[in-house]
Amino acid sequence: MLARLTRELEALLGPGAVLARAEDLILYEYDGSVEKARPDVVVFPRSTEEVSRIVRLANRYNAPIVGRGAGTGLSGGALARSGGVMLVFARMDRILEVDYENLRAVVQPGVVNFDLTRAVEHAGLYYAPDPSSQKACTIGGNVSENAGGPHTLAYGVTTNHVTGLEVVLTDGEIVRVGGKSGDALGYDLTGLLVGSEGTLALVTEITVRLSRKPEAVKTLLAVFESVDDATETVVEITARAITPAACEMMDGWTLAAIEEYVHAGFPRDSGAVLLIEVEGIVEAVAAQAEAVTEVCRQHQAREVRVARDARESELLWKGRKNAFGAMGRLAPSNYVLDGVIPRSRLPQTLRHITALGRENGFRIGNIFHAGDGNLHPIILYDPRDAAEFERAVRTANEILRYCVELGGALTGEHGVGMEKNELMPLLFSEADLELMRRVRDAFNPAGRLNPGKVFPTGKGCGEVRMKAQAEGAPPL
Amino acid sequence: MNAPGSSVLARLEAIAGAEHVLAQPGAREACAVDGVAPAAVVRPASPEQVAEVVRFAAAEKLAVVPVGGRSKLGIGGPPQRYDLALDLTRLDQIAHYDPGDLTLSVDAGMPLARLAEKLAAHGQFVPLGAPWFQSATVGGTIASGVDSPLRQFYGTARDFVIGAEFVTGAGALAKSGGRVVKNVTGYDLHKLLIGSLGTLAVLTRVNFRTFPLPALSRGFVAAFATAQGALELRRRIAASPLTPVTLEILSPECARLFAANRPGSLAAPLAAPGAWFHGEQWQVCAGFEGSEAVVARYARDLTRLAGEAGAAGVQIFDEDAQPPVWTRLREGLPLLLEASPAAAIFKLSLLPGQFAAVFEALRAAAERHALACALLARGCGAVYFALLPERNDAAALARLAAAAATIFEIAAAGGGHAALLFCPAALKRSVSVWGPPRAEFALLPRVKSAFDPAGILAPGRFAGGV
Amino acid sequence: MTPPAPRAAIPGLVPAYEDYAHCTHCGLCLNHCPTYRLWKLEADSPRGRIRQMILVEQGELAAGPIFVQHMDQCLDCRACETACPAGVEYGKLIEYARARIARDYPRPLFSRLARDFVYRRLLPFPRRIAAAARLTRFYQRSGLQWLARRSGALRLLGLAERERLLPRMDDDPFFFERLGQIFPAQGTRRARVAFFAGCVAQVGFARLNEATIRVLTANGCEVVVPDGQLCCGALAAHAGVRDAARDLARRNLAVFQKDSFDAIITNAAGCGSTLKEYAQLFSTEEPEHAQALAFQARMRDVTEFLATLGLSAPLKSLPLRVTYQDSCHLLHGQKVKDAPRQLLRAIPGVEFVELPYTEICCGSAGVYNVTQTEASLELLAEKMRHAAKTRAQAIVTANPGCLLQLRAGVEMHKTGQEVLHVVELLDRALR
Repeated sequence: MLARLTRELEALLGPGAVLARAEDLILYEYDGSVEKARPDVVVFPRSTEEVSRIVRLANRYNAPIVGRGAGTGLSGGALARSGGVMLVFARMDRILEVDYENLRAVVQPGVVNFDLTRAVEHAGLYYAPDPSSQKACTIGGNVSENAGGPHTLAYGVTTNHVTGLEVVLTDGEIVRVGGKSGDALGYDLTGLLVGSEGTLALVTEITVRLSRKPEAVKTLLAVFESVDDATETVVEITARAITPAACEMMDGWTLAAIEEYVHAGFPRDSGAVLLIEVEGIVEAVAAQAEAVTEVCRQHQAREVRVARDARESELLWKGRKNAFGAMGRLAPSNYVLDGVIPRSRLPQTLRHITALGRENGFRIGNIFHAGDGNLHPIILYDPRDAAEFERAVRTANEILRYCVELGGALTGEHGVGMEKNELMPLLFSEADLELMRRVRDAFNPAGRLNPGKVFPTGKGCGEVRMKAQAEGAPPL
Repeated sequence: MNAPGSSVLARLEAIAGAEHVLAQPGAREACAVDGVAPAAVVRPASPEQVAEVVRFAAAEKLAVVPVGGRSKLGIGGPPQRYDLALDLTRLDQIAHYDPGDLTLSVDAGMPLARLAEKLAAHGQFVPLGAPWFQSATVGGTIASGVDSPLRQFYGTARDFVIGAEFVTGAGALAKSGGRVVKNVTGYDLHKLLIGSLGTLAVLTRVNFRTFPLPALSRGFVAAFATAQGALELRRRIAASPLTPVTLEILSPECARLFAANRPGSLAAPLAAPGAWFHGEQWQVCAGFEGSEAVVARYARDLTRLAGEAGAAGVQIFDEDAQPPVWTRLREGLPLLLEASPAAAIFKLSLLPGQFAAVFEALRAAAERHALACALLARGCGAVYFALLPERNDAAALARLAAAAATIFEIAAAGGGHAALLFCPAALKRSVSVWGPPRAEFALLPRVKSAFDPAGILAPGRFAGGV
Repeated sequence: MTPPAPRAAIPGLVPAYEDYAHCTHCGLCLNHCPTYRLWKLEADSPRGRIRQMILVEQGELAAGPIFVQHMDQCLDCRACETACPAGVEYGKLIEYARARIARDYPRPLFSRLARDFVYRRLLPFPRRIAAAARLTRFYQRSGLQWLARRSGALRLLGLAERERLLPRMDDDPFFFERLGQIFPAQGTRRARVAFFAGCVAQVGFARLNEATIRVLTANGCEVVVPDGQLCCGALAAHAGVRDAARDLARRNLAVFQKDSFDAIITNAAGCGSTLKEYAQLFSTEEPEHAQALAFQARMRDVTEFLATLGLSAPLKSLPLRVTYQDSCHLLHGQKVKDAPRQLLRAIPGVEFVELPYTEICCGSAGVYNVTQTEASLELLAEKMRHAAKTRAQAIVTANPGCLLQLRAGVEMHKTGQEVLHVVELLDRALR
């Protein structure tokens, strides 16, 4: 059966576009998350028509279908949880059109986020959503997960920058939704599809807005003796409605680990720092920088430093964007959360996370989008120790439960995937989930498009994850 | 259903209370859509009551249209059936407001003006500078999908609505999104509800991110002899580092309407227009805000850019001139609508690069069909084009119908699309207000049936016959 | 396939669990990897290669032909190290994987003979290098090359492209004749340095070596070219032929230990990165390990050294639009990014423009252009496209291998730029 499907796929796509050997498949069972699941066959379409034919073929075999970009996701969104056909969009990587006058670009899903910026920056433009993985992740993946990033504080997440899509539906039909203008005629299907985690359709072409680089940028680094001072500062910056383009927090001990690697000039002995960026016209930037500095000082900032030039600012951002990876230096593995809380609740939440960590025997790092209230607690663990991993998952769930209690959400930018789907009932009632299921079924009636994602399966999540780990190769 | 069975009324009364079920003609007429009045108006007091009414309607196959301030019921196709108006104006409270987090959760029936007042007390606002501001509700504004001049900077509702609570066509209370500014947990169902005209669900509560009121707010009006000049200024602003909060282009006819000081039908009369609008010229209006230094910079740069674009005159206005100018820009739709007994207003969604060609084609179309017209374009791509016949008669309707076909074509040729937002109900018999069908319309019934399996919510009003 | 038994331990550094475990499979390396960019295959990405190494270490994947193919296809350019936020030392891992392959995997006979010949019987012996160079030179100058190219014989043998990548052998003298000489500093002596002359460079880049010495002496350096120095062993180490690399390292350590220098200079980024990592060829228990640490502490790339020392020689104006292709083993291997740019900008008249995707390998990668010609040429074609966009008149780089590759690129794509080493441009500005 599988062999026949593989043969048909090979006949359809030609040599080099189908992988079915065990040695190859084993390299598609992971992404950037701690999850694991192996596809039965991996294909590399080069056109929308090929995607459509693959879907029709998979339908004949009743095979699950999963899309994947670069596999940098953090919730297992691009993993084949029930096996089946994995479509890797990496070879659909052309920028089809750049409309400089109207600030639009049309791209294939495999275009790497930052490559789009590189292609248009000569004209003073850029693509605004900037997930930390932007130099590797694809725009198709960004669309599926509705990816965010530090600068989404001012400019919005992926969905705010996507005006139209071409998609392949589960029956293989090719449909365009939205357009270049950005106003939907009919329901806002673009808005629904962005962030639907590959469960509604396969995205084959994306029309995005481009942004004009600001006239002036100031990057400030504020150093605090305590986490409390830093979080209180964020609360006040928000309350005083100073809207920086980015406002990131990094706690002191994780920062020391990052500094080890980037040598960006971060302090190694702080309680926490805030990395704040203000952008706009010169006059506005000057005023905002001043206001930010004032708030920082009022909250006992030990130092407020303004990056001297683009280079220093780039270095500081490099440190921030590489932060999670840098945690790899501290422990063999780490588990990054993505909960969101109202920004007014930052101080108490950070205190609570520290306490939860202490109770469970973890020192939890915090490097996150403070301005959005989008937390990224990082739990360090050793995957060789099954009990420790289980404890890490339990701690993570407790943190997310707390976020929801405060009026927050489970995930701000990483997606639900197969990581948090069992936690969905914390936030949504059965009626909410039932409606979402009905919407999914309207597009994906057989449930073969990215199965096992977003919606709870009924098993406890810790249990599911432990099982996945046990089934896969020894964790590394 | 002109004579509802007494049992139906009794059930509704049992849910909402007798005084909140209205069956007298006046009340029913007030909720009419395209001349079709419901059999009764029910005014529930809570989301639970809304759900109960909808469940009852679903069981009885009663067609329901949610209503708020009733200012934009004219938008959409004519209803296939219409039994019950679900008046949400009793749901008018702020459910949750965290000024420190800049987030807000507000009932659908809250009037925009009252909400603005409450937020202003905390120095904040929601950038819904929508028409019929004094009477429109939050729910109606979101469900009708109208935009506002503020979208130039703040975007449309899809950019700052962060969640919603609603009642599905099956009468289930449901929600999506949340109360935090960044959230990808679950499907963004609330995005589907924006502009859905109540065909998917009845909005009961909308969550917003709020924004700080600016320190200073200023404006700028430049006049041009030709559309080319006005568009050249738009292009220059777009290519500059400036990010004005509003950027509107008015045709001379539109400016003339704005300059006329008519009492109009708005809940509160507009301040006198002053000398800001000139009916002989194209005008570009830009709003900008910020600190003293920032607004000074804008005034300086805009004046220079306008000069470079060949402006005939440039005026900078301060806070005092805000009411006459700003309110007219905000209330552009009702002002256009009132200019003719049979006004037909199209909204074209385009890229600004197409403006020059489209403006010309639109005007030619109006002339060809001997119709007066006026045009109001937003710098980011939305164009409101009004055809303004002098009389509402069969000849005028025929000319409008012919012109409509051309206008849909013009939008498509410009790489965009158009909808006929407002027009005489009679015109809807010969013209589909959504224009020619699009491929994606085929998906709309699927979405509709997921939300409203019995098809009782505003049937027929939406695109694709939904 | 029965593995050869018993297996000898792989000498030198053996990666620990943590060296692999630091990889959190975040994937940030993917788009920085030249082969991933070409084929978009996980198996030919750093993340995928590390996963395969882990699986082989854990005995879950055979070190068979599939594994070998993906390890061979790696350029070892180490761009992934620059991209990696977790500081995974990929170079260390790939070289160990290749050493393991060299030990465990029976390659086809021709391949084994060729590897044995090049790494064990040719590169360690200066006289054989010189003899081979003379032979090649005869081929290039006698008209044989012309004949081979025109007759289609090369194409028939499938060697047409590879032949173009062959270095043009120097006219006499080869640089071997300079070994043992000391070149005095001009003006006040600011430093005393040793020059590491390389192996093939002595017959293919003798003029570049001479230019390097001129630039150094002009800037106040006394340059010693110690006699007895040999090939650095980089190519052998990259290929997994550790024994050969270790032998060469031992000999070089002994030679350079005899005298003391402010720095040891190389103009070959590829050599420099191995020379700076000599200690990795030895386990910490071996006495050479400590020697190597002392040696590598003084090892400097010529651009790095000059930029730190500061140029003191007066430079004349060279009106030239110049772009710079980062040599992988300078940028990624040695983390030297600014120095060459600083030097180029210091030349009056030079208009410096950045090359888009300069951090991506040109496809040279040691002997990669010979062993994986097709991939190498694809990378080169992409490189030439970007170079053309800069409208630069000269492409400057910092490694002989890159010079060869880029010169071949200019010839194949008829793009007309000059291809120069940083010191060649400096040397030109001296006179």
